[in-house]
Amino acid sequence: MIGPSARESARASSSMPTAPSWRRQRRRVGYAFIAPALAIVAAISLYPIAYQIWLSFTDWYLLENPTPVWSGLDGYGRLLGDQLFWQSLGRTGVWTIGTVILEYAIGLPIALLLNRRSRVTGILTGALLLPWVTPTIVVGYTWRWLLDSESGTIHALLQQVGIAGERSLLSEPGAALPMLIAISAWKGIPFMAIALLATMKAIPSDIYEAAAIDGAGYVRQFRDITFPLLRPVSVITCLILGILAFYSFDLVWVITKGGPSEASMLIGVYLFRLFFERLELSYAAAIGVAMLVLLIVFSTGYLRALGGKRA
Amino acid sequence: MGVARPMKRSRQRLRSLGLDLVSILVVGTLIFPILWLYLTALKPASQMFSSPFAIFPTEITFANFDRIWSALGFQIAFRNSMIVAGASSLIVTLAGLGAAYSLSRFRYRLQPAFSGVILAVQMLPGIVIVVPLIVILRQVRLTDSLLGLTISYLLLGLPIAVWMLKGFMDDIPPELDEAATLDGASPLQILMQVIMPLMAPATVAVGAFAFLLAWGEYLFALSLLTSTESRTLPLALQAAFGQFTIDWGMLTAGGVIISLPPAVLFLFFQRYLVGGLTSGGVKG
Repeated sequence: MIGPSARESARASSSMPTAPSWRRQRRRVGYAFIAPALAIVAAISLYPIAYQIWLSFTDWYLLENPTPVWSGLDGYGRLLGDQLFWQSLGRTGVWTIGTVILEYAIGLPIALLLNRRSRVTGILTGALLLPWVTPTIVVGYTWRWLLDSESGTIHALLQQVGIAGERSLLSEPGAALPMLIAISAWKGIPFMAIALLATMKAIPSDIYEAAAIDGAGYVRQFRDITFPLLRPVSVITCLILGILAFYSFDLVWVITKGGPSEASMLIGVYLFRLFFERLELSYAAAIGVAMLVLLIVFSTGYLRALGGKRA
Repeated sequence: MGVARPMKRSRQRLRSLGLDLVSILVVGTLIFPILWLYLTALKPASQMFSSPFAIFPTEITFANFDRIWSALGFQIAFRNSMIVAGASSLIVTLAGLGAAYSLSRFRYRLQPAFSGVILAVQMLPGIVIVVPLIVILRQVRLTDSLLGLTISYLLLGLPIAVWMLKGFMDDIPPELDEAATLDGASPLQILMQVIMPLMAPATVAVGAFAFLLAWGEYLFALSLLTSTESRTLPLALQAAFGQFTIDWGMLTAGGVIISLPPAVLFLFFQRYLVGGLTSGGVKG
């Protein structure tokens, strides 16, 4: 990161007019240019978050109260005793960890395979992006179709191998969540592989040449050079994909709506159901706040534990 | 030695060929579901159920596309998606350019706070904000309206657009602006006439990315829109799915119509987008 700081000092020492009035005007121009973006952020994220926190301290159940009534910590008290909430939270934990582990376990070998000079790797890298750039709704319906018990190609395949029975795996209570984890990982693998690949390509080749001269084989080169240098990007990419997984809603909603019964009900699906089906606005808001707090606490703890010094 | 060298080289070539084949096999398997979707959309109805393992269509037809295109509300949904994604992408790109310019070229006291806020909002998941956002939009009577949906989509693209644009702008030497300032150019003129031309492709790529985020969005659309007239494409596909008999040919064609623009734009702008994607988060 030499670039920006060198440029900054160049800017500071440049022979621009430095009269105080000129500098004050420049500050004002700086504020003016960022104002529209800040107004948008304030209006559609900061204000809604504040409003959500307030809502979480009220009781607003549309079928009983037309307007929110202050109720203090009642919503959070209910949260502590809500078994469905804790079950969904545990399920979401399994789902998040399973998704990220699969993404890394498959994304890393793919990145290694594509990190070569060859005629096909460029095309394959582009093609690999397909699952990632396909909208979730299409991914969801495609997998529902592929796993359909009557016309699904992959269902027929799984049936021949003996994994699936007559019914689709998506309607088996024990198999729905693992199947959904596999689909969610499948969608994220390209992102993981491309992020790792971009970092691998930036490793100077003379490090490998020096290691090869010292007699290090491919396995040792990976263990002692590639893997340690991938650590920062691995930590960050796993966090990004983990956050996406923890807060996912649409993939599961499109494929199973949280079912069969509650076998695949993630915390996001639970929140949506409370809001739209049961019209419990305040309680949904309390869960939203709890999810936000979890995000902040977990991300900070994770980066403290694994991130080391971040640039 | 004279014999060993060519042998070693041909062994290397063989190894490279083998790895190529493995790569093709792995990536091919991974993207198979999407390829399968595209190929099925081109199959005639008669071939749809002949065998679940017949991969390639024996004859190509666009009948499936005709059926979904003339299905109830699909054309309206296409138009709505274009309007919402286009408008939100335009606003995001303009506001993002301003913010990136301010963060890249100006120094003021609240700057670290502002950039921190924009960075923090980037990782904000949609599901966490959906309840208050919908309630607020309902209070100002913007539910079931394309305007309300456009407003909520600004949140998807703006933070990442600011960060990507700032990254591209930081690479343009500030000496250029200084020279223009001495020539009497205003800050807005510098942005539009000096900086913008140098990063036009990158700006278009960021705009395309903001378009894509809105194009396939489901959660806010599902929460906000109720009538057929205001539906976007994801909701239209959902509606087609909910019909009594499932017409897989029509549905796969609908899926292709929704997923083709993102795929094409992404491949086209890959160079600009991959760096930005991997340096920051993305909304799901």
